[in-house]
Amino acid sequence: MRTSLPQGRRQFIKSALGTASALTLAKIAPAWAYPTGRSYGDVIHADQAVDLVIRRENQTIAGLSGRPITINGSMPGPLIRLKEGQRARLNVTNGLNEDTSIHWHGIILPENMDGVPGVSFPGIKPGETFHYEYEVQQNGTYWYHSHSGLQEQLGHLGPLVIDSADGDIGADREHVIILSDWTFEDPYEVFRNLTVAEGYYNYQQRTLGDTLADIRRQGIAKTWEERAMWNRMRMSARDILDVTGSTYTYLINGRDNATNWTALYKPGEQVRLRVINGSAMSFFDFRIPGLEMTVVSADGQPVKPVTVDEFRIGVAETYDVIVTPQGNRPYTLFAESMDRSGYVRGTLATQLGQAAPVPELRPVPERGMAAMGMSHAMGDMQSSGSESSMEDHAAMSHRPGPMTSGRQRPSAPDLGIQHAPGGHGPAAAMIARNPVSRLNEPGVGLEDVGHRVLVYGDLVGAHPWPDEREPARNIELHLTGNMEKYMWSFDGEKYSEVDGPVAFRHGERLRLIMVNDTMMDHPIHLHGMWMELENGHYPRPRKHTISLKPSEVVSLQISADALGSWAFHCHLLYHMKAGMFRVVNVS
Amino acid sequence: MLMSLSLAGMSVPLFAGHAEDNWPEPIKAYRTGQLLFDRLEITRTENDENLIVWDMLAWYGGDRNRIYFKSEGENRSDDGEPTELESVELLASRLIAPFWEIQGGAGTRGSVASGAERENYLVFSLFGMAPYRFEMDNSITVNEDGDIAASIEAEYDIRLSQVSYLQPRLEVEAALTDAEEYDRPSGFNNVRVGLRYRYELSREFAPYIGVYWSRALSDKAEQIRAQGGDESEIGVVVGVRMWF
Repeated sequence: MRTSLPQGRRQFIKSALGTASALTLAKIAPAWAYPTGRSYGDVIHADQAVDLVIRRENQTIAGLSGRPITINGSMPGPLIRLKEGQRARLNVTNGLNEDTSIHWHGIILPENMDGVPGVSFPGIKPGETFHYEYEVQQNGTYWYHSHSGLQEQLGHLGPLVIDSADGDIGADREHVIILSDWTFEDPYEVFRNLTVAEGYYNYQQRTLGDTLADIRRQGIAKTWEERAMWNRMRMSARDILDVTGSTYTYLINGRDNATNWTALYKPGEQVRLRVINGSAMSFFDFRIPGLEMTVVSADGQPVKPVTVDEFRIGVAETYDVIVTPQGNRPYTLFAESMDRSGYVRGTLATQLGQAAPVPELRPVPERGMAAMGMSHAMGDMQSSGSESSMEDHAAMSHRPGPMTSGRQRPSAPDLGIQHAPGGHGPAAAMIARNPVSRLNEPGVGLEDVGHRVLVYGDLVGAHPWPDEREPARNIELHLTGNMEKYMWSFDGEKYSEVDGPVAFRHGERLRLIMVNDTMMDHPIHLHGMWMELENGHYPRPRKHTISLKPSEVVSLQISADALGSWAFHCHLLYHMKAGMFRVVNVS
Repeated sequence: MLMSLSLAGMSVPLFAGHAEDNWPEPIKAYRTGQLLFDRLEITRTENDENLIVWDMLAWYGGDRNRIYFKSEGENRSDDGEPTELESVELLASRLIAPFWEIQGGAGTRGSVASGAERENYLVFSLFGMAPYRFEMDNSITVNEDGDIAASIEAEYDIRLSQVSYLQPRLEVEAALTDAEEYDRPSGFNNVRVGLRYRYELSREFAPYIGVYWSRALSDKAEQIRAQGGDESEIGVVVGVRMWF
């Protein structure tokens, strides 16, 4: 990799912005989302203290009048750029008429700087300023957001990039891409709709027409069998995301499709894209038709390079990819919501004003038998386009086929999960009867896309982590839910029902085992400590947020090295709000 | 008794995740409510009678414990008779399984006319969704004389499109004991089936049209025949399903 080339870049910036249109675009963009990428004058330098002011103000979003929460006048908020080894000083002033907070997502810092009201501090009262201050001990791509109420849904979020101590970005140029989901509805109204009317935002359900088509295709008996299984469970195979494009406008760096946020490159350059999923509820599938992407970092932590054509990014995850666009042509940056109810696009171009063809949304995916954890008995009942059977995947993990990244994908350890016979009570509409590792599966809707899709099984840490002890004990948590009542919890108990924190002993090395007993994907985030994913590779990849597929079991090694109380929760905003939240106490 | 149990269950958090007492809870228990008119319709019978019919419920609470108010009734227009309450009930509800609530409370039925004798009763319901997604409300009532009656209501939504549905509906009424005062002979009393086509202008507001067929059964049918009435009835309905 080349080191950064400020000289060439500055020249390029000058020429690229030497046009009136460029200046116009630059003005409506958050300053950091300059089309030229990393620029030196407009991002916040954090050598000095950074002042951030949180306000609620009218802004035009996708051509309509919205009222987001802004940070220093922009939504998403400004790019905060820190440097490894410095002392960060961030002064956050609350200009709202309710409490607010900022959580620095993925940053290792003292408990009282983590920014979770009620866990790490009391929150920031209206009119008050809170002084965050911590040593920056890491580098990479992160983000920050409110941890108060549902403020995140109103755009209270922004990117946080930490330069390595030597300043090397591992490419010639870089762009920060933060994806988000905006709704003109009041977030509390969204939450209530989910609670009182299951499927309120799902306009992609199976209909009688689909049933008739299935009967024509595969006969009555098979169709009945498939439908009966889902209907007996009172669940929907098309329940992919709770909140969909029916209310969401998906944004890339705060801009909608029509605005076509554009990132510039020079042919032959290596461009680093720092992709952050800052949305409240939306998993995205990200690709750049015509360009392969080399993943070099996951959740801000370096991984051994792996080249793919597409990756799924769970809520709150980040991936850094290197691309080498050629030939003076534009490429579409395409982020499709996991349920195919919408997308957002931008353009990677050599000049502003260029655009490339925008792909069509792919068909609505359906969850298959693997989601129910009953693939062994029912593996032959797949309909095309649904999640393929476990047998297929077991086979695939041993022979990297043409459509994998080419990396050997070992199996995750077998953990022998056993459920209590009583289940998890009314808060869990389902128990994964046969939870399995699904780290080598790309996920619902990506099984047969015909190109390389990143899976967790592809991630290998770039180097070993300091603590190499074997975990001395296991802690097991089950992800539980009841979509009909919109109950979301761990082990069948929402936060307000549990009688104590999850206890870690200071200094111990432990294994966290999680089982997803729900029919949804959940991005689970642990504050304050890294989770090393046991995917069979060494070094293990390190994550701050880990997405679990339905009926999946994952295991993570954790060094309980951070004293204090830390939030641990599903990063789907409304799941967290519903109670899928715990406090981990390290003492 | 069930009510007080449920209210006590609307719990105060048992655990604060933080060290300081004056800090807020990071996540609070959430309570909300809904007012739902499942049926609000004008019915025209085969005898050219017009009725206004409603079937509504309102609830408030969390995910496990709720308070319900339910009401069904009809008003026959042009007959000068007062509105007939099929039921007005106040219930405490507890989620006992992922898709089922058990409910208990008190209710009344009869004419709203002043001075009219109404039937007061205790009611227990099993309310929720059966496998295959049948929405059900099954109740047993016991009145002041000890008369026991039972009813089953089931609805099923066949999705025609993302916003339109065909909804078959079944209602069966039975009496476990003879309740002469209220014209409910022991045994099955009545069955009513309906079919409605509903179109959502929004999730909250969905007009519909439909038909129904109602028939008295066994001793009840005989009773009606003896009085010279029709034991069965067919009608069409126009109405709206809406919630707030």
